[in-house]
Amino acid sequence: MSMFDYDARPVTPGVVLVGTQASRGGYAIRDFLSRNGYPFEWVDAGQPDAVRAVLGAAEVEPSALPLCILPDGSRLASATVEQVAAGLGMVAAPSLPEYDLTIVGAGPAGLAAAVNAASEGLRTVVVEAVAPGGQAGTTSMIENYLGFPNGISGSELATRATVQARRFGAELLLARPLTGVSADGPGYVAGLSDGTLIRGRAVLFASGVEWRRLEVPGVDDLLGAGVYYGAGPSEALACTDSQVVVVGGGNSAGQAVVRFSRYARQVTLLVRGRDLGASMSQYLIDQVSAIPNVDVRVGTQVVGLEADDRLRAVNVRSGDSTEPGRWPADALFICIGGAPRTDGAAGIGLATNTAGYLMTGSDVARDPGSNWPLPREPLPLETNLPGVFAAGDVRCGSVKRCSAAIGEGSMAVALVHRRLAEVGGD
Amino acid sequence: MTELPVVASPGAAVSSEFAELASDERIAKAAAALERNGIRPLLAATGAGARGLVGSLLADGAEVYNNTSQTLEATGIADDIERSGRYQPLRLRLYRMDREMQRREMRTLAASPDYVVGSVHALTEGGSLLIASASGSQLGPLVSGAGQVILVIGAQKIVSDVAAGMRRIYEYCYPLEDARARQAYAVPSGVNNILIINKVLAPGRVTAIIVNERLGF
Repeated sequence: MSMFDYDARPVTPGVVLVGTQASRGGYAIRDFLSRNGYPFEWVDAGQPDAVRAVLGAAEVEPSALPLCILPDGSRLASATVEQVAAGLGMVAAPSLPEYDLTIVGAGPAGLAAAVNAASEGLRTVVVEAVAPGGQAGTTSMIENYLGFPNGISGSELATRATVQARRFGAELLLARPLTGVSADGPGYVAGLSDGTLIRGRAVLFASGVEWRRLEVPGVDDLLGAGVYYGAGPSEALACTDSQVVVVGGGNSAGQAVVRFSRYARQVTLLVRGRDLGASMSQYLIDQVSAIPNVDVRVGTQVVGLEADDRLRAVNVRSGDSTEPGRWPADALFICIGGAPRTDGAAGIGLATNTAGYLMTGSDVARDPGSNWPLPREPLPLETNLPGVFAAGDVRCGSVKRCSAAIGEGSMAVALVHRRLAEVGGD
Repeated sequence: MTELPVVASPGAAVSSEFAELASDERIAKAAAALERNGIRPLLAATGAGARGLVGSLLADGAEVYNNTSQTLEATGIADDIERSGRYQPLRLRLYRMDREMQRREMRTLAASPDYVVGSVHALTEGGSLLIASASGSQLGPLVSGAGQVILVIGAQKIVSDVAAGMRRIYEYCYPLEDARARQAYAVPSGVNNILIINKVLAPGRVTAIIVNERLGF
């Protein structure tokens, strides 16, 4: 027990979640709570003493799992993320009938835009499907971000940025994905999954990317039961003394390896390419290489999974070998590239490249198919729809680094001002 | 320094000597002494009154660390800090941090909150404050790390002098805290660190709210 386990334990009741470790629903709630900074106690439904301590009975009906006990004592059987979010009071309605800027996504680009826009007096709202921080929010330690010589964890950066954005008056609407955007005069109306409508004079898509799917049979069935997309910070403790496999060759994969190596007995990094330096920062390559319980396998890919009620092993194929190898594995973390998160943008006619990333600025101007409607050129981060901007990983041509996303988010606000001046009222 | 009192054995019966509320006269004497020592004294008739005072002293949106304290729990002050949404409760933020990857961030975050709110184990009639801690992590911010310090003190904690305060810690507080720690955390407590604040040089940095009610131990 560390010093902080004694002194940082919440005094007041928190969330208690009862479930099985191999439950997809349980993992979704653990991940949601963890990424939103809600302390929670995880109780394994297979441990009668632990279950009795929180429920008063040694067993819980399997159909009631995952069971969530909220701080006020109320219980949610077969709980979902949406129910937990509502029960914790996280689902707020927008306070204004109209905003100057609606930001889609609360990752580094979105939060940087929110801080800059709100600090300059723009009525700003941020909508986020899951939790502030985006992919960077799950990063164990960002060591090349300016001004933090000892590094800063993604969660801490997200927490600080969220506090900062709120301090300037930006509103954050969490736990509801964007379902659509439609034109509304010179502005736009954004719709959320619960029916909430947000009127904004300009929109910034900073919705980032989601992990690319690993095309291996059985992956979907094992999600939450040993297979996870991303670094899964909520699962770190559960990896204690286990065998972990991480798939991917980018910085996210490298940071996942560093995190899990602190807990797991053995971590294996599987990289499809032959050169780690092609996609991972050198400082991370150096760190990963120096950790004794980490094994890096380049030119290797996952071809199959072995499981009973949860993952037990990963089958891999290396180089030119025809016979797959077998790695015992308690957990597989998939951190391979990304696919742009533009679901809520479909239908309004935003121009994308062939990979689905949002085109902006000169890319739009050069593309006759984007149907740019105004006599002026599109602004640098402006999409093919005037007043709709894109920044960060979701933007075609962006540099997939946290600091670059923050720069784009900040820059976008200056361009939003120009657009608002154009349509009047800025 | 006089020799330290003997630590009471775990589970030993505690003396009622240190559980009695101080008289109004002794409360006034301690409050006057605190003021002379650079500590702002406030008086509250009840825990509810103290809760209101704390709420009026804390700035909205501030980083607030609530020390582990039966007094803060009993008065609802801990609940206000952790759950009201008015502040940034550092205890919750620290609790969710990765013990392996974020140790440095935890250390720096816990060391310098805008406000630390806690209690003491003894307040002397001469205006000295005595605080014991098993881990010691809560003591640094009280001395200098925190921007503002707010201490809520049940009037049963007033003692004649520092020697009596030390006896109160070893003979009364420790057995009760040890039993609590064993139940709450399944670990023993210990009088491993003791902080004595005799005087505060920064005007207005430390506020002591004396409550005319038995609170904590």
